[in-house]
Amino acid sequence: MVVEMLGVEKRYGDVRALAGVDLAVAEGEVVGFLGPNGAGKTTSIRVMLGLTQPTSGEARLFGGSPDRREARGRVGVMLQESGVPSALRVREIVELFSRYYPFALPTDEVLARAGLEPRARALVSTLSGGERQRLYFALAIVGDPDLLFLDEPTVALDVEGRRAFWQQVVGFAELGKTVLFTTHHLSEADAVARRLVVIDSGRIIAEGTPSEVKRRVADRTVRFRADLPVSVLEGRPDVQRVDLEPGGLWAVYTSEPERLLRELFAQGAELRDLTVTDADLEAAFVALTRREGVAA
Amino acid sequence: MTGPSDRRDGRRLSANARPSGGAWGLWFAQARAEFVASLRAPDFVIGVVAIPVLLFLMFAPPNARAMLPAGTRVSTMMMPGFGAFGILSLVLFAFGVEIAQERGKGWLRLMRATPAPAWVYLGGKLAMSVLYAAVTLLVLFGVAAAFAQVRLSPQQWLQVAGVMLAGGVALAPLGFALGFLARPRAASTIGNLVFLPLSFASGFFLPLSSLPDFLRNLAPYLPTYHYGRLIWSSFAPAADITAYTGIEPAGTLVSVAWLAGTFVVFSLVAVWAYRRDRRRDEG
Repeated sequence: MVVEMLGVEKRYGDVRALAGVDLAVAEGEVVGFLGPNGAGKTTSIRVMLGLTQPTSGEARLFGGSPDRREARGRVGVMLQESGVPSALRVREIVELFSRYYPFALPTDEVLARAGLEPRARALVSTLSGGERQRLYFALAIVGDPDLLFLDEPTVALDVEGRRAFWQQVVGFAELGKTVLFTTHHLSEADAVARRLVVIDSGRIIAEGTPSEVKRRVADRTVRFRADLPVSVLEGRPDVQRVDLEPGGLWAVYTSEPERLLRELFAQGAELRDLTVTDADLEAAFVALTRREGVAA
Repeated sequence: MTGPSDRRDGRRLSANARPSGGAWGLWFAQARAEFVASLRAPDFVIGVVAIPVLLFLMFAPPNARAMLPAGTRVSTMMMPGFGAFGILSLVLFAFGVEIAQERGKGWLRLMRATPAPAWVYLGGKLAMSVLYAAVTLLVLFGVAAAFAQVRLSPQQWLQVAGVMLAGGVALAPLGFALGFLARPRAASTIGNLVFLPLSFASGFFLPLSSLPDFLRNLAPYLPTYHYGRLIWSSFAPAADITAYTGIEPAGTLVSVAWLAGTFVVFSLVAVWAYRRDRRRDEG
């Protein structure tokens, strides 16, 4: 196993950030960590990396302690809230980072993989948010890591930037590398990962292939105004949650908006101000946790 | 672009991956990056190199005719004083304030996730600072010889430069400790609060003999005063140092012990503060 977490618990005072997480990631897997803010995604990554010590339980990288220099040398990371010296040029900082690792890819290849070739001579201080994020990606892959950790890598990117970024990640994974990333966006995780791990309140609440997980998570929100009894919507197996929002707007969280709407129209329902959007994942996960009844 | 990766050294390395250089190469690369980055911040270069030289030019030439009892010019004593002032500014600002600010920007956090050992980061800053200190001294010495009638034998020039650089390295942990202790936003203020009083009270600007009694009484308890004393001892007779500072000599060994003690104590503080910072970052 490349990554293992064995009953990992992490407390910050009275707060349980991780409440017993077990996970095993095999070589070559691309795993997406999904969950709302504060679910424990970042803490999990930090424990796996040996940057945070678990309160109890154990994390293992390549079969040993994540703290070993040997393990660090085989891992590339994109962290949130990291910085690089702003007075260096892109090529300079990539070259410097290549020295930190026992093996390194040629700088030109790293810049190409991160789509930074045209900005190779730019000062870090002049990079846009998206370019900066690509620089962090370049720094994560320069050591030719066997395992890549990406913590919310697309947070600062627009839609086009996201698409391009995940293309770069997939390109790197195709070298046979193991990739573990966190994100808020179910659609991204769906497109990139072969396995999804959904975490909430410090525990894993769902795990499986993207289609398995999606069946259990409402990834669309249908909003409309209508004179409908709420009983028509609640209790359906394809509806995770129904809210009546301020202004008399119904919000229905569902994984199958097409079927829901087809049936509503068939019943002759008059829907006004109809929209279908990607679900706010937080709400979707809340629904999922509630259904699990915080059983454990 | 690489093709599919092969197994090498128990790893899944890409075909294009090559071993990186050894520890020396890493140190050199880090120092080079620090130096290149600092050259792009002109205020840093000016602050470190130009200010000590300009201050020396303001204060020393008017004193170039003044002689101490055993024949040393007052301007000759002033030269290493302003040099020590410049080196102290490197210690407190290039180490202390820079480290604190880079901690704040998450640069250290990213470095800690790499296999690079912590000494590389500090070693790079140290190498860059020694280089800056050497440049400062070179300019200062040239200006002193040209405009303030400072005359030393080749051996004395080398001795004074050597003592100044070695003493600066001994004071470096002071900056490291500040860098890891201070909150990023407060570091610059703390640096200034330490910097100017230390420089004055150690006699780097004006001779201690011309300063109030309480500073003269305080000076022997400051590591930076002993730094100055060692520098002056490397070229001036003891009688002239006593006349210039107004303080009786305590002996070279005492001053060496002060610097060695400062090095050891602040190294320990710096290591403790570094670990504390890492623990906090680990949460």
